Amino acid sequence: MEKITITLDGEKVAVDPGSTILQAAKRQGKFIPTFCDNKELKPFASCFVCVVEVEGGRGNLIPSCSTTVTDGMVVKTNTERVKKARRTCVELLLSDHVGDCLGPCMTACPAGIDIPGFISHLAKGEDRQALELIKHDMPLPGILGRVCTRPCEEACRRQLVEKPIAICHLKRFAADAISASGDEYLPTPAAATGKKVAVVGAGPAGLTAAYYLQLLGHQCTIYEAHEAAGGMVRYGIPSYRLPRDVIEREAEVIGKLGATYKFNTRLGQDITLDQLRNDYDAVFLGLGAQKASSMRVKGEDTEGVLTGIGFLGDVSRNESYSIGDRVMVVGGGNTAIDAARTAARLGAKEVTILYRRTRAEMPAWEEEIDAAEEEGIKLDLLAAPTQVDKGANGTLAVTCIRMELGEPDDSGRRRPVPQAGSEHVREMDNVIAAIGQGVDASMAEGIKQTRWGSLVADEHTMQTNLPNVFSGGDCVSGADIAVTAVAAGRRAAISIDQFVRGQAVVGDNKSYCHSMGKLDEIPKEVVTPFTETPRVPMPHLEAKSRAKIFDEVETGFTPEQIREEAKRCMECGCRDAHECRLRSYATQFGADVDHFSGQGREYHRDDSHQEIVHESHKCIQCGTCVRITENLLGTSAMGFVGRGFTARVKPALGRELAKVDGTGLQKIVENCPVGALTFKEDKVATLDPKFKRPTPQGAL
Amino acid sequence: MSTTNNRVKPALVVGMSTCNIAAGAQEVYDLCQETLTEQKLDVELRITGCLGMCYAEPQVQFIDADGTTHLYANMTATRMRKVIAEHVVDGQPRDKWIANPEEGETKALLGKQKRIVLDNCGHIDPDQLDDYLAVDGYQALKTVLTEKSPTEVIDIMSASGLRGRGGAGFPTGLKWKFALGAEGDKKYIVCNADEGDPGAFMDRTTLESDPHAVLEGMAIGGFATGADEAYIYCRAEYPMAVARLHRAIAEAEEKKYLGEKIFGTDFNFTIHVKEGAGAFVCGEETALLASIEGRRGMPRIRPPFPAQSGLFGKPTTINNVETWANVPWIIRNGADAFASYGTEKSKGTKVFALAGKIARGGLVEVPMGITLDEIIHEVGGGTGTSRQVKAVQMGGPSGGCVPRELFNTKIDYDEVNKTGAIMGSGGMVVMDDTTCMVDVARYFLDFTQLESCGKCTFCRIGTTRMLEILTRICEGKGKAEDIDTLEDLAEQIRTTSLCGLGQTAPNPVLTTLRYFRKEYEEHIHDHKCWAGKCRNLCSFEITDQCNGCMVCKKNCPVDAITGTKKQKHIIDQEACIQCGVCRDFCKYDSVVVI
Repeated sequence: MEKITITLDGEKVAVDPGSTILQAAKRQGKFIPTFCDNKELKPFASCFVCVVEVEGGRGNLIPSCSTTVTDGMVVKTNTERVKKARRTCVELLLSDHVGDCLGPCMTACPAGIDIPGFISHLAKGEDRQALELIKHDMPLPGILGRVCTRPCEEACRRQLVEKPIAICHLKRFAADAISASGDEYLPTPAAATGKKVAVVGAGPAGLTAAYYLQLLGHQCTIYEAHEAAGGMVRYGIPSYRLPRDVIEREAEVIGKLGATYKFNTRLGQDITLDQLRNDYDAVFLGLGAQKASSMRVKGEDTEGVLTGIGFLGDVSRNESYSIGDRVMVVGGGNTAIDAARTAARLGAKEVTILYRRTRAEMPAWEEEIDAAEEEGIKLDLLAAPTQVDKGANGTLAVTCIRMELGEPDDSGRRRPVPQAGSEHVREMDNVIAAIGQGVDASMAEGIKQTRWGSLVADEHTMQTNLPNVFSGGDCVSGADIAVTAVAAGRRAAISIDQFVRGQAVVGDNKSYCHSMGKLDEIPKEVVTPFTETPRVPMPHLEAKSRAKIFDEVETGFTPEQIREEAKRCMECGCRDAHECRLRSYATQFGADVDHFSGQGREYHRDDSHQEIVHESHKCIQCGTCVRITENLLGTSAMGFVGRGFTARVKPALGRELAKVDGTGLQKIVENCPVGALTFKEDKVATLDPKFKRPTPQGAL
Repeated sequence: MSTTNNRVKPALVVGMSTCNIAAGAQEVYDLCQETLTEQKLDVELRITGCLGMCYAEPQVQFIDADGTTHLYANMTATRMRKVIAEHVVDGQPRDKWIANPEEGETKALLGKQKRIVLDNCGHIDPDQLDDYLAVDGYQALKTVLTEKSPTEVIDIMSASGLRGRGGAGFPTGLKWKFALGAEGDKKYIVCNADEGDPGAFMDRTTLESDPHAVLEGMAIGGFATGADEAYIYCRAEYPMAVARLHRAIAEAEEKKYLGEKIFGTDFNFTIHVKEGAGAFVCGEETALLASIEGRRGMPRIRPPFPAQSGLFGKPTTINNVETWANVPWIIRNGADAFASYGTEKSKGTKVFALAGKIARGGLVEVPMGITLDEIIHEVGGGTGTSRQVKAVQMGGPSGGCVPRELFNTKIDYDEVNKTGAIMGSGGMVVMDDTTCMVDVARYFLDFTQLESCGKCTFCRIGTTRMLEILTRICEGKGKAEDIDTLEDLAEQIRTTSLCGLGQTAPNPVLTTLRYFRKEYEEHIHDHKCWAGKCRNLCSFEITDQCNGCMVCKKNCPVDAITGTKKQKHIIDQEACIQCGVCRDFCKYDSVVVI
């Protein structure tokens, strides 16, 4: 057949007559997105994401899937107008798309752990695969499995049935079980690149960065000011919550992957940043936020007044540390609770936590507050110290004042207001000020800092103003939770990898992620198929037996409990998340889901069919399934119903999918460009084993 | 008053179109029947269609023994009894109710009209083929079949300059030429009678009042293009039109004006009526064809055009009712006669349905080239109140709002397009200053959004998002960026939709933004709807002009108005629900928006 000539993006090309613009352009290696085009079906032109500009005519954009090439046709496939139309098309579809690409737990997890994926492995007893999946995104599951504040569980949909899945405990189990098996999980690093990276700080951020950098083939040296690894999780969290061998075990893995530790080596004292920048191809700074904040009360430097972080650090080094009988801990966060429970373990007879707001405003973890009270620690709420003086016999005379709650402040919490005339003096042996930590990064010379003293780094690539210096964790974010530091460390590792390879530093590629919304926005139909099954409680030492020892309080799940708990997972997230064209285009075109927000479709999940799930709330109305049943299968199993915005694709006569002509229905699932039709046997978005998240060199 | 010299049998001719019946014509007809029977009067009782004077229905024409026609308007059974007693029996016309074309309002209405399509409407009995034959019916078909070749017929159509009256204005002769040239063992003619625009009733009236003209036009089209079978796709909501079509087809077939070997020639032509279920999108030709074929009414991309591959894959010529109804006249009177009306590129006449805030609402047919001002103010009589016309929505939901400042625009496909509106099929909704233009845009978009077939992304979701923004603005929750988002989305929907519905859906928004942008801004920034339509954005007050007539007080649905006779009334703002009924009822313009 004689070819005809068209101009495609300025180039004259010979194409087959009778082919569509889409076919011709694809043959020329051009990218044109499409939802509704299908090589087995006649063109339909419903999605309009494939539009191109064709010279002449009325200036409308032309659906390339259903327009036949003509000789001399001038086609433009990537003008700004075309790109905008594609993005708009995707944004409009997203505004009418109801579903989650990934489970809300995964989205809430700063490290993005494939939570439904590892839980489904645990449910089947595949502990090792579970751990592999966790470590793909987060290398410290033993540590985080104990101390994480669990943003994932706060987002867990299971709460709409009863209680969230014990995600964190499940994660801990995977780590502990494999460790206990003696057959440690050690991934194989990529071939050595010969590049050297200095990691400053062996806290969660530094350890994470080093772990992934080693996997990517780079040689890391980890500089740590203290005598052991762990950073704030070691020196800020008591061993009854996080046994030291767990920290050792996970830090050692990084050593086994090839990293070298240099302890007792302080930046700014033993080494300088300039030196590191000269000696290494890149530097990662994970300095933490280790400077205790001041109470700003007169006499806080009196002997016997300690800081929470200083006290916990000292106890961490010496568990026979001596403390007075009467201890007042000032503050309402986890450090305050840790300090109080630690003081009690050291033998203090009377431990009081003084907090200036009410219990409801305490930032500490609810279960930790409960545990402290169980152990006999008193909460003295709506009170604050105003002055500390030396008392008789080496005691402290602490002047306190009562507070009441006033108007909300910038943080939204009600501001504590001192009650005039309520001052009173209390006699104490020790006061522990645990009111927060700040960053001291004065030794990081040359790096831009905020006015609070924290380091400035790009929030996505973690690169600082010095191109070969990257930073993350508390020293950038200010005191925050460990998992956020882990996430920053991983992001930095990916950027550092790009940097040392001489590539553009763009950071981790992040896919678009659709969400059904917050818990209170979730249609109740989502949880109706689930029946109440209580969350398995974490076994723990009795308060009486634990209060005076540093043994780990939470003793961990048994394998039976794990299987039981893992089965509660509702497997939120989409089976099609890694193949979904809507998600892929949304990522590619930088779609903004809120650009055209408005009323979306109703949730309707049809589980009636043995093999197939039909979720019409995810349908983009491309009509592929309708055309397949009509034109290829010769049935009328699927059809369009209704008009306007509420037009829908439904099984024939509004029946359940199981009740229509099922001939060859697998074909409609295989051809659905989104997750509206999926096979039950496929798992919800999981990274393993079929799908590896795209990362540089594919090593992660 | 039209008079013939011959003595004739007196007759009462009752307008029995849907609009007449809605106004009470059935009662009037029944009264006539009873009275004539009871009093054994030798007066014939006949029916006819609609004269187009919908503002003054029901209408009854009394043809006296001299052959003089007296047109009685606004009839009721009571009035009719008097007319029969005084005029029919005693020969004393009731002048007060007479609306003869030579005088007053009727003269103003008809003065600037030229009736080609509507020529027989309201005069002949649509159910009597003989009535149609008496006005040269089927003569054009006979001429064509016995004296012309298909090409000659097409040449006449081309020379006449007739363009498609469905709205897009494609040259009819050219369309037929494509169909004639298309290869196929079978060809079809289709009449698009799926009239769906709110405020449009041109096709309904034509089909109800003169069905044979449409059938004859289609048969001529069949001969010219080589088709022997035809469908009229008429919405089922037009039961009277459907019934009259069925009756007309049956009678024409019975008397050999349709069917086989018409006028003794080899030309066969059968017509089917297919009732549509009322989907607006089925007015789009490819969706219409799908619907006739028994499939879901969803447009498909063109090419192929129906002339190449239409109904059941065969070459098909689709024209709308008005286009077909023009055809016999053009054949009878010649292309030049038709082309003598109109402008250079828009020939002949155009039928418009006048609705909204207009004194003489109804159906008018004017020569192309007349201005909007002439139609609205001279033919239609303006608002008929002390209020001024603000704008006119042309072309239904696919059209646009033309502001009064542009009323010197000529009725011409290209001139109207320049305003951002479209000629459309002929709907004209007239608005006065109590019409909120944001609300109008919202109304029309609500319509197109609901009527989208749901196939294309931009039309299905885009119009909904626009509607949500407009609704928000009308509720007083508009955001500063809303106007930009509306314009951006409108432009993208216009240029990235498959069929005419999506491509034109943004027009009401685009034109109101173009001409009445200030109203949008007032809604968003000042939280004011000065038209008094958007309840959250207006309050009403009674001015000192109030003379205490108490009408507003009586009609207030929430008893928010206080005042005694001949004293200025007061609206209790706390109780008022901003429905605007007081303003609608006030004859003295004393209720204002504050």
